[in-house]
Amino acid sequence: MFEQLIDMIFSASFGYSIIRITSPILFAALAAVVAEKAGVVNIGLEGTMMISALFGVLFAYWTNSWIIGVIGATAIGILVAMIMAIFALKLKTDIILAGIAVNLLGGGGTVFLLYLFTGLKGNTASLTTPNMLTPKVDIPIIQNIPVIGQIFSGHSILTYVAFLLVILVWIMLYKTAMGLRIRAVGENSHAADSVGVSVLRTQYVALAISGALAGLGGAYMSMYYSQSWNIGIVAGRGFIALAAQAMGQGEPVGAMLSSLLFGFASALGNKMEGMQGFSSYLVASIPYAVTIIGLVIYAMSTLKKVKRFKDNDK
Amino acid sequence: MENKRQNMFEIFRGFIAIAIAILVAFILIVICADDPGKALECLLIRPIISNGALNVKSIFTILARMTPIIFTGLAVCVMFSANQFNLGGEGAVMLGGFIAALIAIYLPMATGVHALVAILAGTIVGGLVMIVPAVIKVKLKASEMVCSLMMNYVIMFTILHFLNNVFPDRSKGATQTYPFLETALIPKMVPNTELAWGFVAAIIATILVAFFMYRTRWGYSIRMIGINESFSKYSGMKVGGIIILSQVIGGMLAGMGGAIEMLGRYNTFLWKDLPGYGWTGITVAILAKNNPVMIPLAALFISYLNRGCELMSIYAGVPAEMIDIIQAVIFLFFAAEHFLSGTRQKIVVKDAKEEMQKKELATAGEGGNA
Amino acid sequence: MSDNDLVVQMKGITKVYPNGIAANQGVDFNVKRGEIHALMGENGAGKSTLMKMLFGLEQPTEGEIIINGEKVSLSSPTIAISKGIGMVHQHFMLVPSLTVAENMVLGMEPKQGNKLFINYKKAVEITEEYSKKYNLYVDPHAKVRDIPVGMKQKVEILKALVRGARILILDEPTAVLTTQETEELFKELIHLKEQGYTLIFISHKLNEIKQITDRLTILRGGKFMGVHETAEISKEEISHLMVGRDVVLSVEKEQAQPTDVVLRVRDLEYTNEWNKKMLDKISFDVRKGEILGIAGVEGNGQRELVEMLFNLNVPDNGSAKVNGKNVLGRPQREIRDMGVSLIPEDRMTFGIAGAGTIEENLMSDRAANKKYNNGPLFNLKAMHEDSDQLIKDYNVLCKSRKQQVGMLSGGNIQKVVVAREFSSDPILIIADQPTRGIDVSAIEFIHKKLVQLSREGAAVLLVSADLNEVMELSDSLIIMNNGRIAAYFEDTSVLNDTIMGEYMLGLKQQSDEEIRGVLHGE
Repeated sequence: MFEQLIDMIFSASFGYSIIRITSPILFAALAAVVAEKAGVVNIGLEGTMMISALFGVLFAYWTNSWIIGVIGATAIGILVAMIMAIFALKLKTDIILAGIAVNLLGGGGTVFLLYLFTGLKGNTASLTTPNMLTPKVDIPIIQNIPVIGQIFSGHSILTYVAFLLVILVWIMLYKTAMGLRIRAVGENSHAADSVGVSVLRTQYVALAISGALAGLGGAYMSMYYSQSWNIGIVAGRGFIALAAQAMGQGEPVGAMLSSLLFGFASALGNKMEGMQGFSSYLVASIPYAVTIIGLVIYAMSTLKKVKRFKDNDK
Repeated sequence: MENKRQNMFEIFRGFIAIAIAILVAFILIVICADDPGKALECLLIRPIISNGALNVKSIFTILARMTPIIFTGLAVCVMFSANQFNLGGEGAVMLGGFIAALIAIYLPMATGVHALVAILAGTIVGGLVMIVPAVIKVKLKASEMVCSLMMNYVIMFTILHFLNNVFPDRSKGATQTYPFLETALIPKMVPNTELAWGFVAAIIATILVAFFMYRTRWGYSIRMIGINESFSKYSGMKVGGIIILSQVIGGMLAGMGGAIEMLGRYNTFLWKDLPGYGWTGITVAILAKNNPVMIPLAALFISYLNRGCELMSIYAGVPAEMIDIIQAVIFLFFAAEHFLSGTRQKIVVKDAKEEMQKKELATAGEGGNA
Repeated sequence: MSDNDLVVQMKGITKVYPNGIAANQGVDFNVKRGEIHALMGENGAGKSTLMKMLFGLEQPTEGEIIINGEKVSLSSPTIAISKGIGMVHQHFMLVPSLTVAENMVLGMEPKQGNKLFINYKKAVEITEEYSKKYNLYVDPHAKVRDIPVGMKQKVEILKALVRGARILILDEPTAVLTTQETEELFKELIHLKEQGYTLIFISHKLNEIKQITDRLTILRGGKFMGVHETAEISKEEISHLMVGRDVVLSVEKEQAQPTDVVLRVRDLEYTNEWNKKMLDKISFDVRKGEILGIAGVEGNGQRELVEMLFNLNVPDNGSAKVNGKNVLGRPQREIRDMGVSLIPEDRMTFGIAGAGTIEENLMSDRAANKKYNNGPLFNLKAMHEDSDQLIKDYNVLCKSRKQQVGMLSGGNIQKVVVAREFSSDPILIIADQPTRGIDVSAIEFIHKKLVQLSREGAAVLLVSADLNEVMELSDSLIIMNNGRIAAYFEDTSVLNDTIMGEYMLGLKQQSDEEIRGVLHGE
């Protein structure tokens, strides 16, 4: 049984599914990273993904173009984030509560919105046409390399966008003025304020970027992964992303690694489902349990660091 | 809390928030219903009055559906009072229900005792799981929010594993357990309705939690820690222990709610997903402003709207999920501290001025005497 | 002196805060171009408020500000910066995880040709250029969290300069520095002066003032006490102008009859996170029936001392015992159970739970007591009775015990704190700045209570930067300076403002022999 498992882990198709499963979480984890860097906890990622996933499909359906669908999903992600921002930053709703409200909207609200716009109940499977799905991309040269090609080639175009965004988000945070301001605001808003950097404006921008990223994650789910929208489509990925952010120490690359870990655990679960002797349900819980353990380990290491820092000073 | 005018204003603010939510609902209904008038009637009136007569059955349904969300509302109330954003209510509810179900199926006992034991077990297990996020927070300063969210899924999948692989009743088409023993069922308060004696338990729990929060040293400590942790520490309270206690009690309430809902409403365990009561509990607690006494009222409101939305979906074809939109809107405005803050500021200033005048008069009086 | 020489003119400045405290009353403050001008005064003298107005953080209630001959309205720091004013705050306004260069250019980032990316090289160049030009050595690439305090301060100064400041306000810049760092800073400041910059230097360290300033303005109790050429005024005169009481409030009290030692502190040492020694072998005893005062300019270790005694911090070395039992590192519950009470300096953070009711705040240390509980439930009757009694005894002006504490005035909030701390039958009361920022009637009331409790047998440790308070209330008195005990006076009646000032400001230091008088036995 374990031999079988080992074989499976070292198969190319397993690598492929890790990347496939990681992609949406990566989008959302990057969204969490950007918001957190500006000092905002975006717990509404789950709902944002749901809403964007729905509107991605709808826009694609209305225009028969997946590109418009993706753009639409991103725009809706920004819109949702802005609603959250207005409540949290201007009207001073606790940011966590504002996020929970967004999740409520994303949960049942989307079902309602779907009905409102299409008269459909529950899912959009009947709308799906091939034009609405984001295309798979075969990477020249790499696709012909054995194993490597099978793992890294042939993913949705959005998957490549997601991994590219790790670099872009890093560049944004560390190489642009906006990124510098986002980090300054999140870490010491008084310092930012004292040199004329508007804390509110910066947080609005950060939340907008966060919303856009979550929107892309939603689009990936409905316009590629599940091929249509349904109520269970996001299934906690927005929450996992928060954990990935924390485990990845709030850095884009760290969040990517945590997302991959989660993707690995999920892919493992999917593969084990088919095997004798493993409970698919227990296996499905592994990623979440791993996340908790990861959080604990991370928290312990930071506590130690703080302690060591103090000891050194003495 | 002494100030009448400011209190009145808070109530007014709540009504405005609710009014905005209802207005949003109206607009959505007008857009999407074939017969908006009928849809509105379903939403607002039919839950209690149908065809000119009191809709007794529906009223009992509304009351019955209050039961679990009163429990989760109370749970959130206790946990959030300690300023902990523990979102594990969902998992605790499901687990409480599942444990109660297992006892109801596999451990024969006398009528009455059986249900009590099952509920007690659900309660205890609900409390136990909350130790995890609480201890992680207190000892390691890790986010209780992320941890409790993840824990919900671990709990859910673990239960699904047991439901599917260990305890399924394979004679049935759907995935479910064997039926509960009759001895474990919570009897109905009113025959042929959904309303079981669990509702009374919820009301009793409300009273107990209200007493706990406002009349005991532990509840008092929880509230003080929630307001100002440094002050509580300086005052000599065991801050870490009390935070853990608050989360465990929250988990126990949620677990109890799950158990009571399970034995009062179903006769076999068939939840295949997190039941959602935990999240609704947050809405209820927000509406009740974390005051246990107000929880049943808030639960009634949500339950009423829920029922309205359900009727609307049956009779007017508007999806019942509209409830989530209404909840979200209420939620956002209710929790918005600066919503109508300009008006509140005016009231505070006005009060302060009057206060000053009174004082001046008083001092002038004293001066005259001296 | 023509007005053209004056870069800053603040005329008749009065500032009344919304809570009614008048921090400045008709203050005049003039600074000449290219001088180093000291702004001096004790804590609460109104220096910070005056400078906040000059930097646009606060607006004056009355008076006008003229910069370079132009009347200005400084409604925000951004405007003040545009007028060439820069401020180096005592608590650095830096982002720890960013590099020095990034902190330098925050908000005015140099861009690459494409306008999108930060030109980090340029940022480093700017930093190096300014660093070199003003002789302020910093490492542009280092992260701020990794650099020593002295360098952080230089970054702050450079930040102001790079934003075009010609007038620099330095708020107690030496408070966080070691001696060596201070020397270095002074060289740099003089260098800046030579290049035509105007510096406003807030401090109460006389030696430093004498060393580098040209002129000085003294404030006391929010009022202007004159402006002087530094060379023409002696330290003693400065001390006399700075430290002193306008009105001597006398407190009637009987002669103390101290008996057994209650609090015994030995060799307490503490170095803070910036490597500054805040407590240097502090030893003293407080006896039953006496009030031992600890005077000193704030920031000389008093706060740290109190924190140690109530386990809000842990010292590096030393011992502190109450009736022979160690208090260091013990839970607050245990310390309170030994009979220790604390009136905390920061009453909003530690003293009260603002959103709680008066009753809830009065009961916070004793809610678990048998007296207030019937089994699991509170004995509300006992609580209400005692709360009402305390409200009455301590003159808390309120509508009822159910009123929110946060809504009360400062004086009444403090009375709530005091009522709680005094009513637990304490054997040791630590009163840290017990009357700061509250009205006269509340002050008098608290003073009377303190005396009464000490005469009834409590040991009282009174920490206060308020001369009136500490001199009038204390039976005997310690003066702290720079983390050490500078003087001990067994009898406070021999003291006057001048003597106090000289020890507080570090002009004098008693011998170890004299200080040892505060140890009673062992």
